[in-house]
Amino acid sequence: MAKKKEPTATPHRVMVIDTNRCVGCWTCAVACKEVNNEPLGFWWNRILTTAPNESTAAAAPASENIDVPRGEYPNLEMAYLPVACQHCTDAPCVKVCPVQATFRRDDGTILVDYERCIGCRYCMAACPYGVRIFNWGDASYAPGGTVGYGADYRSDGRLVFTPERPKGVVEKCTFCVERIDVGQQPFCVESCPVGARVFGDIDDPGSEVSQLVNEGGAVQLHPELGTGPNVYYVPVRKRVPRES
Amino acid sequence: MSVSRRGFLGAGAVVVGGVVAADRLRFLGPLTTPGPQDAAGSAAAATAAVYRTGHSNNCDGACGHLVHVVDGRVTMIGPAQFATTTISGAPAPTFHPRICARGLSQISNTYSPDRIKYPYKRVGPRGSGKWQRISWDEATSLIAEKFTATQAQYGKTSVWIAPYTGSLSLIEGVVGAGFRFASVIGASAGDSQGDNQGDSATPAGWNYVLVDPENPDNGGGFFDGHESVDFLNAKAIVFWANNVAETSIPDWRIMCDARDRNGTQLISVDPRFTPTSAACDRWLPIRPGSDTALIDGLINYVITHKLYDADYIRSYTVGPYLVDPRTKKWLRADAVIPGAKPDYVVYDESDGTIKAAGDPSVRTPAILGTYPAGGVSAGTAMQALADMARRYTPAYVEKLTDVPAAQVVSLGQLWGTVKPFAVRVGFGLSHWYHGDLHMQALLTLQAITGNIGVHGGGVTTFAGGLTTTAFDLFNWWNPTGTPYTVLEPMQFCDAVTKGEPYPVRAAWFMVDNFAQQMADRNRVVKAMKQLDFCVVSDYVLSATADIADLVLPACTYLEKTDLLSSNNFYLQYMPKIVDPLFESKSDLDAIRMVAEKMGVGQYFDKTPDEYLKQLLRLGRAEVDPTVDGLTWERLTSEAVHLNTDPMPYVPFFDKQFRTKSGKIEFYVEMLVPYGQQVCEHQEPIEASPHNPLYKKYPLVFLSTHTRFRTHSQYVNLPWLKEINNGGNGFLEINPKDAGPRGIRDGDVVRVFNDRGEMKVYARLTEAIKPGVVNCYQGGWDTIKVKHYVAGHPNNLTHQIANPAQSVIPNFPSNAAYFDCLAQVERA
Repeated sequence: MAKKKEPTATPHRVMVIDTNRCVGCWTCAVACKEVNNEPLGFWWNRILTTAPNESTAAAAPASENIDVPRGEYPNLEMAYLPVACQHCTDAPCVKVCPVQATFRRDDGTILVDYERCIGCRYCMAACPYGVRIFNWGDASYAPGGTVGYGADYRSDGRLVFTPERPKGVVEKCTFCVERIDVGQQPFCVESCPVGARVFGDIDDPGSEVSQLVNEGGAVQLHPELGTGPNVYYVPVRKRVPRES
Repeated sequence: MSVSRRGFLGAGAVVVGGVVAADRLRFLGPLTTPGPQDAAGSAAAATAAVYRTGHSNNCDGACGHLVHVVDGRVTMIGPAQFATTTISGAPAPTFHPRICARGLSQISNTYSPDRIKYPYKRVGPRGSGKWQRISWDEATSLIAEKFTATQAQYGKTSVWIAPYTGSLSLIEGVVGAGFRFASVIGASAGDSQGDNQGDSATPAGWNYVLVDPENPDNGGGFFDGHESVDFLNAKAIVFWANNVAETSIPDWRIMCDARDRNGTQLISVDPRFTPTSAACDRWLPIRPGSDTALIDGLINYVITHKLYDADYIRSYTVGPYLVDPRTKKWLRADAVIPGAKPDYVVYDESDGTIKAAGDPSVRTPAILGTYPAGGVSAGTAMQALADMARRYTPAYVEKLTDVPAAQVVSLGQLWGTVKPFAVRVGFGLSHWYHGDLHMQALLTLQAITGNIGVHGGGVTTFAGGLTTTAFDLFNWWNPTGTPYTVLEPMQFCDAVTKGEPYPVRAAWFMVDNFAQQMADRNRVVKAMKQLDFCVVSDYVLSATADIADLVLPACTYLEKTDLLSSNNFYLQYMPKIVDPLFESKSDLDAIRMVAEKMGVGQYFDKTPDEYLKQLLRLGRAEVDPTVDGLTWERLTSEAVHLNTDPMPYVPFFDKQFRTKSGKIEFYVEMLVPYGQQVCEHQEPIEASPHNPLYKKYPLVFLSTHTRFRTHSQYVNLPWLKEINNGGNGFLEINPKDAGPRGIRDGDVVRVFNDRGEMKVYARLTEAIKPGVVNCYQGGWDTIKVKHYVAGHPNNLTHQIANPAQSVIPNFPSNAAYFDCLAQVERA
C-alpha cells in the first residue's frame, strides 16, 4: 500500500506501461534514440513482440520477428512489450559494479557514471533484462542525427548523461534524468502517441502511477528474480472471449 | 557563444533558455515547458530556437512537430501541442500528442546523404543513371523551352503536370502550385483529390449514397468523415480494412480512450492479424475482397431480426420509396397518382393507399413490402435491399468470406442493438475493383441502423482538412479563370502510348514517385520512357527520378513555408525552419523560374505567406465561416481548430443529405445500368477463386502499408531501417502456403504473375491468412537501392478500371492494387 508522503520527501519514481495500449509502433524507442543521441545499432529501449502478459525480456535483435503472433491462423494472439532499464530497487548491476560507476539515486533512478565506468561489462552479465549496451568502438550516428542537441548533465557531480558516450563505457536508459530533474517527463512518455506510458511518484497515493500499480494490477517483469523493478506493466485485459 | 542567426533575424523563432527575443514570441504558444537544455545550462541552451510546424506526411496523421534549431541546423524534433479552442473560442478536444517513429526520424531525412543536391541533366540513355550537374537557370530554361515546343506541336494539354500526395500541404502538395501552373499554361494535370492511384473507389461509393454528383453545388463529388475525436462518442467501432494502430498511430489513442473511458467495443475486420486486430476485442478474419458479402450478411441479420431503426429509415432514407419493377428506377408520383406532382411514391400503412412521398397526409410510410401502384406491383427500396440480402445467411456468408457464421451472427446482433456504432475504413478497402461497392454497402448498413449524421456513428476514412471549404482552391488553381484539363493517373499510359484521349508528350512529376507507386509498373515505366521530355522534382533519387531527363532538388517540409490541414480540423502553419540545403528549392520557387521563362511569371510572384492569406480569404468579407475571425498572427502562432458545427465535426449532422432526394440513397438509381442499385456482393475482378487465372496464380497478393515508412518515403532512414528488418523488404506468407513450396523463413522467393515479378525474402507468419501473401509496398527499387531483392509489388498490380465509378466525376476508378493474384516460388 502507498504510504502517506511528506511533500518535501524524495519522490520514488516509477514508470508504468499499459500493454493494452501499446501497439508496437517503436515511437518511444526512436524518441529515446533521438533525445539520447544513441549511435546506430544502439537501442536503450526495444519493443518485443510477445504473447499477451508474457513476462520476458529476451534480448533478441531489435527487429527480429516484429509483429509475428502466437498461435495458428485464425486463433492468434499478440502483444508488445517495451523493454528498457527496469531501474530495479535491488539492482544486480549496482551490486556487481566493481567501481560503483552504476549507482542508484535516492529517487530510484539507476544511472551510470560515465567517468567512472571502466568497461568491465559485469553489469551487462548481471542484468536479467538485457538492456545495457557497451560502446566497443567509436560511435557512428544517423546522418543529421541529433548533433548539437543535449549537453553534459551531472547528478551529484557525477556525469550521468553526455551526448556522445566515450568508447569503452556501458550505457542505458536514464529515465531522461536531465529532463525529470527539471520537472519534465521522460521523452518516451512525452512522445508516446497512444498514451501507454505514465511516469510519476509511486509514494504519492494520488499519482496515476500509484493507482495503476496499487489498484490497476500493474506487474513487474520477472518478479521472481527479486530485483524489484520500478518499471511496471498493466497486463492485457481480455474483455470479450475470442470467437474464432 | 554563437548566436543563431535565424533565432534573432528570422521570422517567428523563439530562443529557449537564456535570452528570448521578446518581439518574436509567435511560436511561444505551443511550447509550455522549457527544453532540457535549461537544466544543462550549456552554451547550446542559449541558442536553441524552437519552431512549431506540421508534418505534411501522406499518412493523414497530420502530426504537430516542435523543431529545435541550433546555428541554423535542426537538432531535435518532438511532439507539439494543438490549440484547445476553435478560432471563435469554443472548446476543442485535446488532440496531442501526435508523432511517431517516422516523424521523429525527419532530421535524418532532411540531412540525408541521399538528398539530391543540385539540378541534373541526363547524359546517358534513359534510366542509365548518368547525370550531369547543371545550373537552375539552365534547368528551368530547358523546361520552359521543351514545354513550349511540346505544346506548340501537340497541343497545350500534351504537357502533363503531376503534383501528388507526397505532401498533404496546401502550397506544395496534393492541391499545390503544380495545379496552378498547369492551369496557367493550359496543360493537363492529375487529379487534385490525389486519389486516383488507389483512393477513389471508397469515396465514389460514399458519393453514390450521400451526394448527387449532378448538382453543381456538390462540385462533382466530395468526401468527408467524422472528426477523429468523435469516435469517443461511439459505443462500438469497427475497423474495416483499417490497421489504424499501425498506419495512423496517434488516432489509436482516441480509440483506446473510447475503450478505457466509455467501454467502447473495438472490432477489426481484416484478412491479416494486424497490430490493430491484436488489440481489438474481436477480429473477423475475412477473405480479401469479400467484404460486401459480410456486410450483406449483417444487413440480412439486421433486417430479418427487425433490428433496423424504422423511424430513422422513414425520416432520413429512401427506404420507403417504391421502385418500378420494370425499370428498377423510382416509381414517379406524377406517373401513377392522378394529379400528383413529380415526387417519390410511398405506401401509407395508416390508410392503405399509395401517396406521393411529400403528401402531408402520409402518416406511416411502409418500410417493407410490395404494393400495387400504377398497374404494377412495386416494392419499397428497403424491400429491394431485403430481397437482395436474404440469401446472405450466416452460413452462406461463411462460405463466401471464411468468417465463421457465429461471428457473423454476433456482429449482426451487436450492430443492431448498440448505438451509436462507428465504422473506420482504411484505404485498403479502396484498393479493390469493387471498393466503391464495399463503401456503398457499409453506408447502407449504417443507414438502416440509424448511424449516419450522428455523433459516434458514420463511416469514416478521413475528415476535414483539404475537404473543408476554408480554402479558396478554385482561384488558387485557376488564377486566369481557366482550369487545367484533368488527365487522371489511370489515363496516363494510354495518353502517352496511344494518344488517347489526347497525346501527352512531356511531364513534370512533383511530390510523386509515379514510376514505382503506380499500379502495373512495367506498363507505366514503358510509357514514361516514351515521353519526349520528363522532369522530376524530388529530394531523393526516386525510381521516377531514375528515368527522368531532368531532376530538380526539392525541399523537405523543414525548408519551405506551407500550411497543413489534413485529416483533422486544425490549421498548422509550416514555417520555413532552416534554409534549403544545397541548391534545393521549393516546388513553388522552381515553378516560378519556369513560369517566368514561359511569360507567365506574374502568377507566381508572391510569397507562400501571401498565397496562404489569399487561400484563406483572411480579413475578407467572403471568408469561410470555418475560419471567420482568424488572424495571421493566430494562424502562425498555434495550431487552431476551425469553427466547426457540431463539435466534434460530424458530416450531415443536420440530416440534410446532398442527394437528389435529400435522403440517404442506399438504393442508388444512377447505378441501375451497372446492376448495382443495391449493394449485392460481387466477386473481385481478379483476386477470386472463380477467376480461371486462380489455377495458375492461387495466392491473393496484398501490398499494404507499414508503420516504418509512408508509401515510398523514409525507406532510407537509418533508424527506421534498424527496426524494420534491417531495411530489407519481406513477403508475409503463411507456413501452410510456404511448406508445400519448400519455402523456409528468410528464403528469397519469386512472386510473379503475367504482368511482372519481384524477388523478396520470405517471412513465415501466421498473421497472414493461408492463400494470401502480403508485401509492404513502397520500398525502393531504384538504380542504387533494392529494398526488395529485385522489383517492387507494383510490378504485379494492374490498372483494370471500374466503369461504375464514372457516375461520380471527381472519383473515377482508381487502381485496384489488392485485387491481384500471384504465385510464389523459391527463387
